[in-house]
Amino acid sequence: MKDEGPMTNESETTWRRDPALPYQRMDEEAIVVDPRTRQVHLLNETAARIWELLATASSVDDLVATLADEYEGASPDALRAEVETFVSELGGKGLLTPRGRA
Amino acid sequence: MIPREPRCQDEAVAAGPDGQALIGRMQEWAYQKLVPLNASIEITLRCNIRCLHCYNFDRDEPRAACDKPELSTEEILALMGDLRAAGCLFLMLTGGEILSRPDLFVFLDRARELNLAVQLLTNGTMLRPGVAARLASYENLHGVSVSLYGATPEVHDAITQVRGSWRRTWDGVQRLKGLGVAVRLKFIVMRQNAHEVEAMRAQGDARGFAYMVDLTITSRHDGSDGSLATRVDRTQLEQLYRGPLRDLAIRGKTETTEDSFPCNCARGNVGISATGDVVPCVSVPWTAGNIREQSFADIWKSAPVFQQIRGFKMADYAQCTPCAHKNHCQRSRGAALTASGSYTGVDPFVCATAEVAHTLADERAALEAEGPAAAPVVRARLAVVR
Repeated sequence: MKDEGPMTNESETTWRRDPALPYQRMDEEAIVVDPRTRQVHLLNETAARIWELLATASSVDDLVATLADEYEGASPDALRAEVETFVSELGGKGLLTPRGRA
Repeated sequence: MIPREPRCQDEAVAAGPDGQALIGRMQEWAYQKLVPLNASIEITLRCNIRCLHCYNFDRDEPRAACDKPELSTEEILALMGDLRAAGCLFLMLTGGEILSRPDLFVFLDRARELNLAVQLLTNGTMLRPGVAARLASYENLHGVSVSLYGATPEVHDAITQVRGSWRRTWDGVQRLKGLGVAVRLKFIVMRQNAHEVEAMRAQGDARGFAYMVDLTITSRHDGSDGSLATRVDRTQLEQLYRGPLRDLAIRGKTETTEDSFPCNCARGNVGISATGDVVPCVSVPWTAGNIREQSFADIWKSAPVFQQIRGFKMADYAQCTPCAHKNHCQRSRGAALTASGSYTGVDPFVCATAEVAHTLADERAALEAEGPAAAPVVRARLAVVR
């Protein structure tokens, strides 16, 4: 079968954290170490929670839905904007792997 | 409400958990919370070279027949899981020579699954092309440290007692570096190679390697002290510190306070010997328990040795507290313990090093007070000593 590659529609794209990257929770925060780039990344409380959720492939919709449940009263639109920005940022740093939704 | 916008703060980090602000913050967190963030496992004592200064045991003598067997593959894999559960992030695998264990890659596979950042300590002689390429394929390989004992094969090989080891080590580290692995050299300075220190550093610089210089030689964990015959004497130490190691000697002082005095032993650091003994740091042979008899978590939490170490105050280091040179001292608890038999004792060589560093710092301060005109005179004097 021909491999058509990942789908490009943002809402259909799922993301997963690079499963081999070393990380550690530090109370509410988390540290991610990337030996390939010699960078260390400090994730704040919310970012650390998203990092945990990204252990399994998730779309922005998935993440927003989970966080909306957990953070009662958060504006869905604001949440979506933050999550999109953050996921894009982590993806740009090579910490996430994008995949087309199956 | 979402408590905080998700943010990622970045920082460059060298090959090792040392120095940078984010890593420093994490180390401080581990120290305060008693999280074994940095663990070292001595996966074997077997080695293919026989260094004169080896701190494990005298490699020119037969080992005692009553030695316990080394940890099995399964025991080390289980230990890695226990360390991760306790909060470990930086895992150092050391030896002996780690590449003499054929199951090294089984451990690296497990470390990757556990999201551990791995550092390796090897003599580099077994880093053949296939091995180097395989090591370089691990995304979680945080760095590799390799020791060198001379700028020439004659000097290095006389210390390892294996002809060709200098060449094989250099071939190995250059191969690994060429594959993008962060390699850090350790130049161990001894009586036998002190005259080559400048050349060793020049080789490291010319070939683009990060390196550290270490003069610490201790007696062995088997109780023998033949290794000490390789240690530079006081005269050599002073010549080195006034000459090719001057930049290290005048790094400046660190104010000693109750908070700054204790090290990370048994707080953010832990070591596990090749036979399962749990120690505060791999260079400090003070056994808190053995993982074959007790879980790692129990030893870490409640072993009397660890409780005692965590409870030490600056005043307990009776010889250090009143010392005039303590702000210039690179304290080493392993050296102190093996030299004096006491964790809170001292190693006279470390004391001498602090004294020389203090003298140099004072001379430098006096020089700066006199103004720039004084500098050429002193530089000429140092050149003579050198």
